[in-house]
Amino acid sequence: MLLVGVGYCVGLALFLSSCSSIRPAHRVTPLGEEGAFPPRYSIVFIIHGDGGYLYHDVRGNAYRADEETLAKAITVAQRNPQAEVFIFHEKRRRHFLLFFPRRDGKFYYYRHGRLLAEETYWRNQGQSRFDPEVELYHRFRAEERPGLTRLFLYFGHEIPEFGGAGYDASYSKRRFTVDDLADGLKRITGDSAKFDLIVLSTCFNGTPHTIAALAPHGRYIIASPDNLHLSYFDLGPFEQLEVGLPDGDVSAFAKTLARHAFDRQTEDMQTAVTVAVYDADRVQGFLDSVDSVYDRALATLKGQTLASIEHFDCAEDPAYIRPGMSEGVDVFYRPPRFGRLKHKQSHSGWECWRFLK
Amino acid sequence: MSGRTVFRFMVIIFVMVYAGIAFGQDGLQKYFNGAALKVKATTDPTQKREILNNSFEKMSKALDKVQGSPLVSKDDRAGLELFKATLQEKQDELTGLNGYERVSDEQLDAFSDYVVQDMEQADRSITISLVAALLIIIIIILLV
Repeated sequence: MLLVGVGYCVGLALFLSSCSSIRPAHRVTPLGEEGAFPPRYSIVFIIHGDGGYLYHDVRGNAYRADEETLAKAITVAQRNPQAEVFIFHEKRRRHFLLFFPRRDGKFYYYRHGRLLAEETYWRNQGQSRFDPEVELYHRFRAEERPGLTRLFLYFGHEIPEFGGAGYDASYSKRRFTVDDLADGLKRITGDSAKFDLIVLSTCFNGTPHTIAALAPHGRYIIASPDNLHLSYFDLGPFEQLEVGLPDGDVSAFAKTLARHAFDRQTEDMQTAVTVAVYDADRVQGFLDSVDSVYDRALATLKGQTLASIEHFDCAEDPAYIRPGMSEGVDVFYRPPRFGRLKHKQSHSGWECWRFLK
Repeated sequence: MSGRTVFRFMVIIFVMVYAGIAFGQDGLQKYFNGAALKVKATTDPTQKREILNNSFEKMSKALDKVQGSPLVSKDDRAGLELFKATLQEKQDELTGLNGYERVSDEQLDAFSDYVVQDMEQADRSITISLVAALLIIIIIILLV
């Protein structure tokens, strides 16, 4: 009976800690004591983990994509003494004793290589998808210095362009689309600033609609217009940014990063590997020219099940072939080693939708 | 019933529910990863083909049975149909049917990796609910 009683007490304590409205902030170092100079780089990671993120390497070892990425993001944070790094880990919702929900977001804040704050949060609080993340960002961000380089990285499954229900395994009715992401980016940077680089480590987000939605909030965007394996883009080049991005040349850094990610993926992948770098200003002409065509296509596809539609290279449809199609896009592409597309030798860098043939 | 018995029963239920969720979520990837490991463990190309072929057939049978189950939704059925079609394509490629070049003996290990990696993309094209995934795995186990 004593053991049962102790068990109930422990259970009650865990329950109270999981449901408490008290913010469980764990500030490691008081802000303001971590160093006098403002950071030179500001990096925001959003790592989605509320879904199927299991993958294996070629030796058969199993990994969780979100947990692997979290560990790498922490390494990036620790190895950049001139950066502030925000890491948001969106986790699957778990319950204590099957009924009592536990916090499903975890936030880490690093500045000058040191962990200054770590806290859990609820992801479903607020009107907009990224309300909790935006609030935490503005609560912790350092004073801005001129020439601050802003980098944003998102890791997860393909961000939907329409529909969007079911993206989170824990919230089947909750919707998430690229427009929600664009709204979150806007509220992080404010109206007058942009990210210098946005990285979407997802499948199929190199589309006219996604790039057009994010272009107002970023100077350069890296995305995959085709499939991308869950081992994601390698974060090696982000370690020691003062070496990899010393003079603020984000264009060159983005291409180096894309090339590096491509090389790493092609080492072991048998599936297609496609990484594209979009210069937000230079692709605007193409985006304007296909905007109405793409929107019409999206409108006809809305309401269809994903089993009845498919992605394809926009260059395969004459409606999208425009003189400026390759302007401002650098594409690194290797076809899959097997399957129907193994002989496809190039990719335009733009992915579109159509009905399954 | 004593408090201890109730407590034990609750623990067993929790463990079973959590194990079931994890099993259903990851079971499909683990299934094909297991097949790939078996393919690489043998040097005989005939055996490699047999392992791959068996893994496709067993999965297809399980998908057929799950599609007919009243427990799966309309959306699930569409997702299962697409999944079945992609499996059929792979089986066709393995054997060289329907316009595919037959996968050569030297490429069988790489092909087994391709099957696993194709299931592990950061896309959302095949959406199968946890219930359906769990049913598939249970049926596959029963088919052994």
